[in-house]
Amino acid sequence: MNEQRNLWIAIAASVAILVGFQFFFAPEPAPQDREAQVREQLDVNGNIAPQTASNVPSVPGGAAPAAPVVNRDAALAKAPRIKIETPRVEGSIRLVGGVIDDIQLQDYRETEEPDSPLIHVLNPTGSDNAYFAEFGWVAADRSVSVPNSDTQWTASSNELTPSKPVTLSWNNGSGLTFNREISIDDNYMFSIKQSVKNDSGSDVTLYPYGLISRKGKPTTAGFYILHEGPLGVIDGTLTEIDYDDLAEDGAVEKKTTGGWLGITDKYWLVALAPSSDEALTTRFSHHVAENSDKYQTDYLGAARTVAAGSEAASETRLFAGAKEVSLLDQYANDYGITNFDLAIDFGWFYFLTKPFFLFLQWLNHLVGNFGVSILIFTVLVKAVMYPLANKSYKSMSAMKKLQPQITKMREQFKDDRQRQQQEMMALYKREKINPASGCLPIVVQIPVFFALYKVLFVNIEMRHAPFFGWIQDLSAPDPTSLFNLFGLIPWDPPQMLMIGVWPLIMGITMFLQQKLNPAPADPTQAKIMMFLPLIFTFMLASFPAGLVIYWAWNNLLSIAQQRYIMYKMGI
Amino acid sequence: MSNLPGSNVGPLARLLQIAVRGYQLFLSPYIGWSCRYQPTCSAYMMEALARHGAIKGGWMGFKRIMRCHPWGGHGYDPVPGCGCEQNKAPSEDELRLTAL
Repeated sequence: MNEQRNLWIAIAASVAILVGFQFFFAPEPAPQDREAQVREQLDVNGNIAPQTASNVPSVPGGAAPAAPVVNRDAALAKAPRIKIETPRVEGSIRLVGGVIDDIQLQDYRETEEPDSPLIHVLNPTGSDNAYFAEFGWVAADRSVSVPNSDTQWTASSNELTPSKPVTLSWNNGSGLTFNREISIDDNYMFSIKQSVKNDSGSDVTLYPYGLISRKGKPTTAGFYILHEGPLGVIDGTLTEIDYDDLAEDGAVEKKTTGGWLGITDKYWLVALAPSSDEALTTRFSHHVAENSDKYQTDYLGAARTVAAGSEAASETRLFAGAKEVSLLDQYANDYGITNFDLAIDFGWFYFLTKPFFLFLQWLNHLVGNFGVSILIFTVLVKAVMYPLANKSYKSMSAMKKLQPQITKMREQFKDDRQRQQQEMMALYKREKINPASGCLPIVVQIPVFFALYKVLFVNIEMRHAPFFGWIQDLSAPDPTSLFNLFGLIPWDPPQMLMIGVWPLIMGITMFLQQKLNPAPADPTQAKIMMFLPLIFTFMLASFPAGLVIYWAWNNLLSIAQQRYIMYKMGI
Repeated sequence: MSNLPGSNVGPLARLLQIAVRGYQLFLSPYIGWSCRYQPTCSAYMMEALARHGAIKGGWMGFKRIMRCHPWGGHGYDPVPGCGCEQNKAPSEDELRLTAL
């Protein structure tokens, strides 16, 4: 009776897991609490007011033209622009406002099709998914005219290349001349040097600022093991804020010297890295404008009191591109950007995930197929664990052989757990079974497998990387489904039923592997064990194929190792 | 959760017990068995939490895992204070270090 109930509890738990999985992992719609959003907007507008209580001005809300929203190309065609051209980046700078709002990556496409559109990291102001970086000065005295998003800058050239920086200049008409020198390297790093010359005859106090503004919440992968959204390394510590939390909990303001801040997608990053000796007030905020969410990450530098006749300057860098780990490391090193590599979500097991990451990339460059690299890497990890696993497999196989005796013994002492445990040990002794390798090695291995899992999840090299046959993108779920007989029936099953070939192989190998182990003493555990492969098959079906392949391969290797031992032991 | 041991268990200890139960049900079958002791480390942890609470019981369970390795002991090793030590198997069996 009790057993029966436990079984039902187990089934209910399984269903709860499946449903919970859909609930937590499926991308959720943006919250629709109008009232909160309006309040939020008022708060933000209040913030933009010139003077706060502490008499320190705040960063403006970023360029927000009143013109109707248009598509990317139309927005680009609207204002005069400076062309950006490098081996890896094409884009432009809007001359009005001097905003960097158009970056296209030449090495990355939206899908694995060779003619699919290139990835756009930044999008022009005025387009429906505007995403841009803006720089400038805030004056302590509001009557001093400083450049803003409508400023008509004069450019030294109409093209920016790695060998040819461009300088924007503007005079406020009452003695202040603002200059902005923008340069770019061969990869994804801009350098922005702002300076101001004061010929006005009186002192002015100015604060440099930089901001990244993004309109609309992008579609995120929705997996809680990966952060997408505003982030930064503030005071040496990684700060990650979810889009939804920012909208619900309001702005986050923190002070730091050095570090960086920005907004990240799974593979792309836009980040500001001001000079490492600049004291900054950083802010992450959200507000609603033109019926869409706007997320902003900004910093305000230290005050510069520019005496009449003198000059002041401020320098920052802007990263806009793909999160290639070696590139981020190089920038961190060259420019002293603290923990810049944490833009890649390495997670808690950084000390494991990062070396795994680098090793996998090295393997991939060696063999040229990321799927094969995963297989090789798994074999190597297994090889390191081999002696420990062997010991446990031997013990388990012996137990498996003695299963009938154990069952009988358990039946005999079914009301006396202590007696069962003692008899079990006596059996070990009588049959001369060596003890297994222990729980500690297992506990130590869990982070290793979790780290490997995480690496596969975040690794940019897995993106659009083909394996063999129907797997053309290791970072996407297996596109086949059992429920249309793998494409034989012309029907697109719902997401829930997209159970591909690889998830099935994973489920079957998991089932086979469990069969090799002795049945657990606990009846509930035994019942759940039967359902586990099924649950995992459904759960993993929506995971990146590369992960499922890793898991299936890992199972296969375990089975092979255990079978071999059983064969040698004559079981 | 009727099958968790202990009737008067604190909330933190209960939470830990649920986590251990989750491990037993969903992770352990996949990973396979490796324990050198009876009761197994997870069963030991459950019992210790029930008898000695979250802090002390959790610490006892942790110490048990820390000695469950290839160079550690093996055998019958019940939770102290369960009133079953007198039934203990011979101590040489429990404490003897295995040669590798």
